Amino acid sequence: MAGEAVARGARPVTEFFVQVGNLVLLTARTLLSAVRPPYPFGEELVDQLLFVLKLSWFPLIVSTFALNLGAPGLQAAGVLSLFGALDRLGGFFVLTAIRWIGPLVTAVVVAGVAGTAITADLGARKIREELDALQVLGVDPIKNLVVPRFLALIMITGLLDISAIVFGLSAGIAAELLYHQSLGGFFATLFSNATVVDLLASVLMCTMFGAIIAVVCCYKGMTASGGAAGVGRAVNQAVVIALVAVFFFQFVVTSVLLATNPELQSIR
Amino acid sequence: MIGWLDVPRDWLDSFGEVVGFGTRVAGLVFSGRVFRFFGEGLRQAGILIFGSAIVIWAFVLILGLQCGIQGAYFNRSIGAPSLAGLFSAYCDLREGVPYAFGYILAAKVGTGIVAELGAMRISDEIDALEVMGIQPVTFLAATRLLGAWIAIPFIYLVGIALAYLASYIAVVQQVGDVSSGGYSLIFWMYQSPPDVFFSLIKGMVMATVIVLVGCYYGYTASGGPVGVGTATAKSMVVNIILVHIIGMLGTVVFWGSNPRAPIGG
Repeated sequence: MAGEAVARGARPVTEFFVQVGNLVLLTARTLLSAVRPPYPFGEELVDQLLFVLKLSWFPLIVSTFALNLGAPGLQAAGVLSLFGALDRLGGFFVLTAIRWIGPLVTAVVVAGVAGTAITADLGARKIREELDALQVLGVDPIKNLVVPRFLALIMITGLLDISAIVFGLSAGIAAELLYHQSLGGFFATLFSNATVVDLLASVLMCTMFGAIIAVVCCYKGMTASGGAAGVGRAVNQAVVIALVAVFFFQFVVTSVLLATNPELQSIR
Repeated sequence: MIGWLDVPRDWLDSFGEVVGFGTRVAGLVFSGRVFRFFGEGLRQAGILIFGSAIVIWAFVLILGLQCGIQGAYFNRSIGAPSLAGLFSAYCDLREGVPYAFGYILAAKVGTGIVAELGAMRISDEIDALEVMGIQPVTFLAATRLLGAWIAIPFIYLVGIALAYLASYIAVVQQVGDVSSGGYSLIFWMYQSPPDVFFSLIKGMVMATVIVLVGCYYGYTASGGPVGVGTATAKSMVVNIILVHIIGMLGTVVFWGSNPRAPIGG
């Protein structure tokens, strides 16, 4: 009796660990089959790259520009203008646009736009039993479906991060112009504060986000079940898990990065 | 295969329809017709509280931690570590929590509504409601909006409190450049009750838009199981763009001309 109650109470916990285990297993199998020959996924990889890029470019530009103009741009410029130190906004944008918001918004946009599309696509194939048919034909779904998506998301998040930084910085320039400042001070503090470590960390962090999003969304798509409601539910769970994982991962990475790199904290 | 301009074109296309559908649903709530199904509205509020609140709070908590460490290290880099409270006050209350709330609400609640209503549409349950003489828009969409308006202000305010707690932990316990009292002094000095109210307005506008977008895409889903998945994915695109635009406009309207800081002239 008591054992049953404990088992029932522990079910969400068990399910959580089962899911995490499955995700790790899928990651390992994806990595293995990505490096082990043969490589039949070249065409699919190019298709997926274009697909993600076509879906993401518009939301990414609008999102990074709006977020950087509102949060660090106008909010910080308001305080800095009280001190008469608006040229310092450039140094602040190293923190926001490069270290924090660039990778974060890229991950949110890619998870919300491309990740959901991937889950919907794979989920529909699972429901129509196409994945089983592939396996019967001797085609490995991980090698032919998951690996190209995984590689495509890793590459594209790293590249989109660069454009997120560019549009974030142009939002900073827009904020300076709204306060009728010359841009010399902005660029001077921006370039004296920016470091290679920051930029590298931003891009590498973003590729890791791409890996997380790809694995979570492919896993949820390939395990969808239960007809029409099932695909929708899979998309819902995939995007929630991907976002929480990305946010948590970014917190851990930023803590480690900032604590271990004192040169990021010197005054310039 | 989709083209390069498909996403902006889709977005413009659906934007007008979402606005039309949204005003219709909001009209149903304001005219009081939704109160015929008040019980269903309360049930939707309960689903929000028991199903989504924990995830939302966990997400906002992580954002508070992030605000804390970024602020602590940034203030160390400008040589004023004791002013970390300024950064985290602005980051938590004015920008971070509304955005994080918008993201997770779009992901958890918005897509959840699309999946649920889309499945109903595909299995002809919405038509069945109409045959039974129940107005489906009122029963399905307006009750969800009512439920969101009942539950979400409280979820949001608790979320702000959790973000504050997380920032405190990150700045004072994790980084430890500033004492607890010194942090609290600056932190509470740089915010006021109107700021909380403005932040709540930002969050509530986002929540309303997200629920309406979710209802629209679920209600108009078509094309079998694939269609539900596609509609869910599309709603997320629209929601992400709208969350950012609302966030920016909110900042411009509430804090654009006046930073509301206790310094300067």
